[in-house]
Amino acid sequence: LKGCSGESGGYPPHSKMTMSALVELTIDGKAVQVPAGTTVYDAARLNGIAIPTLCHLQNQTPVGVCRLCVVDTGARVLSASCVRPVEPAMKVSTNSEKVLAARKTLLELLMADHPSPCARQQHSGDCELETLAKAAGVGAPRFARRTVSRGLDETSLAIAVDHDACILCDRCIRGCDEIKNNFVLGRMGKGYSAGIAFDLNSPMGDSTCISCGECMVSCPTGALTNKSVAGTAIAMGSGAKPLTSKELHRLPVFAGVSGTFLELNRGAIVKRHFRAGEVICREGEFGSTAVYLLEGKARVAISTPIAHVKTQGGAQGFFKRLTSVLVGREEHKREEEARDRTIPIDASVDLSYGNPVAELGPGDLFGEMTCMSFYPRSATVRAETDVVAYEMLRNVLDIMMKNKTFRAQIDHNYRKRALETHLRGVPMFADLAPDFIEHLKEGVELLCYAPGQVIAQQGEAADCFYLVRIGFVKISEAYPGGELVLGYLSRGDYFGEIGLLGGGVRTATCTALDHVEVVKISGDDFREMVERFPNVRAGLEAVAAERHAANAQRLQMVQNVPIEQFLSQGLMEAQSLLILDLENCTRCDACVNACADAHDGVTRLVREGLRFENYLVATSCRQCRDPLCMVGCPVGSIRRRNSLEVIIEDWCIGCGLCARNCPYGNINLHPFDVMVQDLERGGRKQAVVQQKATSCDLCTHLKEPSCVYACPHDAAHRVDPRKFFVGLMGQGPAQ
Amino acid sequence: MRMDRTQRVWALGSLGILTASAVVYVAYAWNAPAGPRGGSAVGLTFGIVGFAFMIFAALLGARKRVPTWRLGRAQAWMRGHLWLGLLTLPLILFHGGFHFGGTLTRVLMWLLIATVGSGLFGAALQNHVPRMMTSDVPLETIYDEIGNVRKALREEADGAMEALCGSMGLRQKGEQESQRAGGFTALRPIAATAVPLRTSAAVSAGASAAVAAAPEILLLNAEESAPLKRFYLSEMRVFLEDPKRRGQRLGNSEKAKNAFAGLRTLMPAAALTTVNDLEEVCDEARQLLRQEQLHQWLHGWLLVHIPLSLALIMLGAVHAVMALKY
Repeated sequence: LKGCSGESGGYPPHSKMTMSALVELTIDGKAVQVPAGTTVYDAARLNGIAIPTLCHLQNQTPVGVCRLCVVDTGARVLSASCVRPVEPAMKVSTNSEKVLAARKTLLELLMADHPSPCARQQHSGDCELETLAKAAGVGAPRFARRTVSRGLDETSLAIAVDHDACILCDRCIRGCDEIKNNFVLGRMGKGYSAGIAFDLNSPMGDSTCISCGECMVSCPTGALTNKSVAGTAIAMGSGAKPLTSKELHRLPVFAGVSGTFLELNRGAIVKRHFRAGEVICREGEFGSTAVYLLEGKARVAISTPIAHVKTQGGAQGFFKRLTSVLVGREEHKREEEARDRTIPIDASVDLSYGNPVAELGPGDLFGEMTCMSFYPRSATVRAETDVVAYEMLRNVLDIMMKNKTFRAQIDHNYRKRALETHLRGVPMFADLAPDFIEHLKEGVELLCYAPGQVIAQQGEAADCFYLVRIGFVKISEAYPGGELVLGYLSRGDYFGEIGLLGGGVRTATCTALDHVEVVKISGDDFREMVERFPNVRAGLEAVAAERHAANAQRLQMVQNVPIEQFLSQGLMEAQSLLILDLENCTRCDACVNACADAHDGVTRLVREGLRFENYLVATSCRQCRDPLCMVGCPVGSIRRRNSLEVIIEDWCIGCGLCARNCPYGNINLHPFDVMVQDLERGGRKQAVVQQKATSCDLCTHLKEPSCVYACPHDAAHRVDPRKFFVGLMGQGPAQ
Repeated sequence: MRMDRTQRVWALGSLGILTASAVVYVAYAWNAPAGPRGGSAVGLTFGIVGFAFMIFAALLGARKRVPTWRLGRAQAWMRGHLWLGLLTLPLILFHGGFHFGGTLTRVLMWLLIATVGSGLFGAALQNHVPRMMTSDVPLETIYDEIGNVRKALREEADGAMEALCGSMGLRQKGEQESQRAGGFTALRPIAATAVPLRTSAAVSAGASAAVAAAPEILLLNAEESAPLKRFYLSEMRVFLEDPKRRGQRLGNSEKAKNAFAGLRTLMPAAALTTVNDLEEVCDEARQLLRQEQLHQWLHGWLLVHIPLSLALIMLGAVHAVMALKY
């Protein structure tokens, strides 16, 4: 037994001892002498007699809640030995029939409320409760099992909480409060619904827990388990060296973290050596690790051609086929395209549109979003010189980010290297004077938000301006018919200016969608900025006026149209919907074939979707009110235009996350054969198949979309949904 | 294509052509000393126009092969196919003077009648079946995906059963995950590494997803679950695996309704949600079966019409060459 073996022998017993006064007693017929004040449990342990227990650890204050350590002292009732002090001439029996029967009943009761085998038992077979139960011969419990689960809490990156497996021994609470003095854990609820709670019953990941791991190493069952138990270990490979817990402890960022916890996370961080020219990670790949550069320099770049998909041909002649080509914005500029002059990536630098290359050095961290939220890699990183780096999983990154020194270093790098490009990436801030940028670098606050946390609430007073640094922020407005998501902001985007420039009130709610970090510019700095730089003021006012107009237009529409019907079917505000009259449609798929024919064999519509009476809204971009496609784009290349349509910017790296996220299958990946720089053989080019995300473009260069043109049965129509559905509901003509 | 008022222009045009042709034919037949003949100037003209209409009608298939060529809207081609194809029959009858002639021409005439007849049958089907499909199959899916949707339904039903009755050994590990929502079935596999979709509602509410959303776990004991297990294993799963097998209660909506009503009386109240879900799964499976049947009607006639049309065009060309040369 861990609790009995005294594995934490370095800690003094908690019972107050007076070494001078010794007490004589008998335990299981053996005469023993111990200092006065010693507990019966300690007296037995010191004399080689093991008493089973669950709630007691040598380094914690005994509380006697599990009652498993009961002994017979000849009193009216059995005593919990961990809290019972010895008395002179006391006769203690630790294994009488009565004691064993009481323990067995306790074990049966505990096992009836314990999922067997629990996570710990499954993984390492050392769940203390199950081991004791087995030793005591407890089989199927006689008592009814719990029918309502107390739930799992998987929100922490490092520790999984299975409330069902918790036996309320309080070892974790004492570990958190007494040993580490973090005071995060406590008890909640009463009776059958009692359990442990983090802060005021927050999910563990959202609580103030710093993932020190003490609770987990204290837990006797599978209630608190390390997530590496689930197999989170980085694949080794050439140039990788696993770090031992001793080596980890020597790193300042891991000071104060439980040794056992680091031992359990051993596989979650490795030290890697990359030779010059070696690729560390590639854009578009899915990954789960972040990389911290210790030595050497690395080059970060986007190798995908910076271009968008354009369909051309067809209009010039009867027999000319349509083809899709990749074109840059110089050759073909789309409406509202390329407002950003820099490309946000998952590192402490941004890339420029014209030359998407930058350098990373010692102390730089990249892949944070990939690691924290499993987004695809945003760029390709290649070692410029020989590089030594730590590659880590998110449980380790989470621990590191909670270290104040490390956090300060990362924040310093950001202020020094990326804040200026972020600010200048916003067109209206491009003209800020260098001295003001320097002032902002020191004055801004860098804040983190957990998933679901509200950053700014619609209707509350506006007192600051935000720039998104990491993660995705959902911008939504409340309407009588429901909430409308205006968009998802990613790295480099900003919000909060309307409230500051307008009536001082937030016009939308901004919520962290995942792990979000923002740059907060105070209201005073913001006001100074707009006063000092008239161009900035003019630009911000223009944007604010535009957004105000769009809001007013939406509000008017909401009042005129029974919007709940649109909203419920996801038909909101599309500029053009492809609808199929199901009473005419013979399901011949001519529309789908035409679409595929128009786009190099890649169809952008599927003849399936939502029904509205006898009309089917076929699957082609329907500009959802909650555009999930935008969530997770590692380079922020998909966004809404002001018309709410989706536009995919030129720097799409073809990772396909938007296509996976679109619930309607409206985004497709279009493959192209392109020549790109061979990163492993510098200076040479290689032919690769590069993908670009596309959605329906309505065949805009043609008079009529191909799908409609090719329908032989007069079933396919492109309609303005507002006019069409209003007409359908008897308020005007249907088309 | 639906026969409605939008066909009026083509219908009137066709009627006009038919009337004019009939007038010409009557005048020609009245005045011809040896009776109307295909080899005469008028007869030949009818033959050429009729054959041209046939060629035009047959070109619809080719037109569909190049849907993006700007050769006129496919809808216009389809209307031309219907009405001009229909006119072919009277024109060819005028061409032959209502005589079927020798062996080749006799075969040709019967082929023409069969082709036009099958076309009319197809047009009637395309007029009615889409409406039936729309009303009978609200949960319609893409025809080629029906097999996959059935599989997803079976897995969903298995999952619901095992969640209520405990493990029954029904779920196979390693199968691709799929998601189903109403009539829309997204069958794209979800990669293990992909970021999970978050619903905005959950995110907006700042839901403490893990703790707050702890689902209520309800497990029936062996006695309670016995009727449901028996029904599921002996009837419902058999139906989901092979819905086309004849004589199944669940293949008929009324009988299925009664079967589920009977089952509800045997189950505890807490299990009724699952029973309702299972009934919905059966209903969707039945709709898919209906969709398959209607789809086969909707497109099956083409298996007759297209070969007949091709044979007609080829033999018509042979007839034209032979008639003009010899």
